Amino acid sequence: MRAVGFGILYATLLFIPAQAADNAAIKEKASVCSGCHGENGISQTENIPSLAGQPDQFIQWQLVFFRAGSRKNDQMKPIAEEITNEEIRSFGAYFSQMTPPKGAEDTDPDLSKKGAQVAAGRRCAACHTDSFAGTKGVARLAGQREEYLVKALHDYKAGQRVGGGVAAMADVAYHMSDEEITSVSHYLAYFK
Amino acid sequence: MTSMFHRSVLALAAVALLAGTSIGNAQDKSKPLKKYESGTKEFWTHPPDDWFLGDETEAQKGLAPPSGPPTGASDAELANIIKKVKLPPGFKMEVYASGVLAARQMAWGDKGTLFVGSFGLGNVYAIKDNGGKKEVKTILKGLNMPTGLAFRDGALYVIAVDKLIRYDNAEANLDKLGDGKVVYDDMPSYAAHGWKYIAVDKDGWFYIPFGPPFNIGIPPTSVSQIRRVDPKTGNAEIYALGVRNSVGGDVDPRTGKYWFTENARDWISDDLPSDKLNMINKIGEHFGYPYCHQGNLPDDKFAMGHKCSEFTPPVLNLGAHVAPLGMKFYTGDQFPAEYKNNILIAEHGSWNRHKYQGGRIMRVIVGPDGKNAKQEVFASGWIEGDQGYLGRPDDIILAKDGSILVADDWAGAIYRISYSKK
Repeated sequence: MRAVGFGILYATLLFIPAQAADNAAIKEKASVCSGCHGENGISQTENIPSLAGQPDQFIQWQLVFFRAGSRKNDQMKPIAEEITNEEIRSFGAYFSQMTPPKGAEDTDPDLSKKGAQVAAGRRCAACHTDSFAGTKGVARLAGQREEYLVKALHDYKAGQRVGGGVAAMADVAYHMSDEEITSVSHYLAYFK
Repeated sequence: MTSMFHRSVLALAAVALLAGTSIGNAQDKSKPLKKYESGTKEFWTHPPDDWFLGDETEAQKGLAPPSGPPTGASDAELANIIKKVKLPPGFKMEVYASGVLAARQMAWGDKGTLFVGSFGLGNVYAIKDNGGKKEVKTILKGLNMPTGLAFRDGALYVIAVDKLIRYDNAEANLDKLGDGKVVYDDMPSYAAHGWKYIAVDKDGWFYIPFGPPFNIGIPPTSVSQIRRVDPKTGNAEIYALGVRNSVGGDVDPRTGKYWFTENARDWISDDLPSDKLNMINKIGEHFGYPYCHQGNLPDDKFAMGHKCSEFTPPVLNLGAHVAPLGMKFYTGDQFPAEYKNNILIAEHGSWNRHKYQGGRIMRVIVGPDGKNAKQEVFASGWIEGDQGYLGRPDDIILAKDGSILVADDWAGAIYRISYSKK
C-alpha cells in the first residue's frame, strides 16, 4: 500500500516541471484568445463566449470543427487554421481547468423561472448535466453570457451551426420559440 | 409540489415528442423510447441529428454511437494500440501515419501519394513519403462527408454524398487542387447513410453504394442500391437492389465480379441480424433489404409478404453489429501463399450492442463461386472492456510491397501490417 502511494507521489513530483513548462508555453499561445474571450477565459465582449471551465473535449471538438471549416466563423477561421493537434489538446486542458464564470445576481427571477420550465421541458440537463457544467463533448451552459446563449440557440435553430456527430441541438432548437430561447438563456446565464 | 410540477412538465414533453406516434411501449414517461416517423420525404431531407436513434427498443434502449477523441490518438496512445493488437505469427503492425483525423477510404496515386477521405470533418488528405517521414497534408476541406475516393488516369475522384468530383493531375497540384469538376450528380442529397465508397473495375467504371436515409423502412427509389458509374461520360446503371448501408467493396481479381460488405439494421437485439458479405453474380440482383435480413430473417414490419427465398443470400454472415466497412482481396506476394485472393475486411465495430464486437480485421477464405466461405480473425485488440475503443479500423488498401495499410477514423491514423518469414 505504502509503496504504491509513494510511487504515485514520486511520479507526480517528476511531472511537475514538464507540466509547468507546458503551461507557460500554452499560456503564451492563449494570449491570442484572451483578446476576445477575456482574461482568465471569461468574456467581456458581446456575442463572444466564455471558455473558462468548458469541458476539455468540447473545446477540442470546436477547434477541430473551426479548423476543418465545418463550423464557420470569420474570426476563428484564420486562427484555427494554424493550430496543431498538440495545441488543440493543450487548449482543451488549459481552458477546462480555469475557474468557470459565476452567475451574477439575477436581475429578473421571474424570467428565470420561465427559463427553468423550458430547460426541464426540453430536457437540457439530460446532456448538459444537472449543474449545466457540461461533460465531454457537451458544452457548459451555466454562467455563459446571456446574449451568446441566445445567439447559439438561434444559430442551431437556423441550421447554421453544426454540433458533434451525436448532437441533438438542431432537433431541440428547431422547435423553440423566441420567447423560450430568451427565457432559457437568461436562466442559464444566471444559474448558480 | 415541486416534484409534481416537474413530473407534469416532463409528461407534457414526452407527449410533445411522441406527437403523432405510438406511445404504446413508453413505459417510463420521463424517458420515452426515441421514435421518429422516418418514412417521409421531410425526414429524408431534414433528419434530426440523432436520426439513427429513432427506432429505439426496450432491448437496446440507451445505446448510442460513441464519439472518438477530437484530435485522434496521441503518440503514446498509438504505441499502446500497437502493443495491444494481436496478429498471426510473422505479422507486424506499425504506425504508418498519424494526425489523419477521421480517416476513411484510401487510394494510391500513380506517383506514390496516399489519398485519404474523411467523415464529418469534410477533409481529404494526401500523405507523402519524405525520406521515410510521412507528411500529412489536408488538400481539400469543407466537403460533405467525403468518405469515398479513387484515383484513375492521373485524376483524384472524391465522392461527397451527391457529387462525384474529379481533380485532374492531382499529384502535381496538391497545394492547389481547385474546385474540381463534378462528373456525376444524379444522386440524392440525403445525409443519413449518404456517405459512400468507390471500387474501380477493369473498365474504369466505379461501383458506388447508395444507403437508405434511415435505419429501416421503404426506401426512396433512388437508394438502397449499388450503381455502376462511368466517370468519363457520367453514364450509370443500377447494378444491384435491396442493399442497406454498404461502405466497402472490391472487384474479384479472379472473376471481375463485385463483392461488398453490408451493415444490417439496428434495434432488434445484440445478436440479430448479422452483417453481410455479398457478391453480385449478375446485374439486377436483389439482396433483401428491407424485407429480409441475413438471408433468413424476414423483417417484422417490412417483410410485407415477401419470403427470404426471393432474394440473393449473403456469401457469408459476418456477425451482428460488427460493422464491416472497407475490404480488399489480397493480391500481393508478401503474405503467406494461402492468403492469396482471401478477402480482408475492416470491421468498424458496434454501437447498438451492449458488448461491442468487430473493431478488428477479418480474413475470409472463399472461392470465386462464393460457396463455403469461412472467416477467421486476422487482427484484433482495438476494443477495450464492453464499450470502449482504442481505435476503429474502417478501410484497407494494399501497398506495392504486398503489405497492407489500415485506416482508423477513431485514432486518426493509418497502420501498416507486414509479414516476414522468421
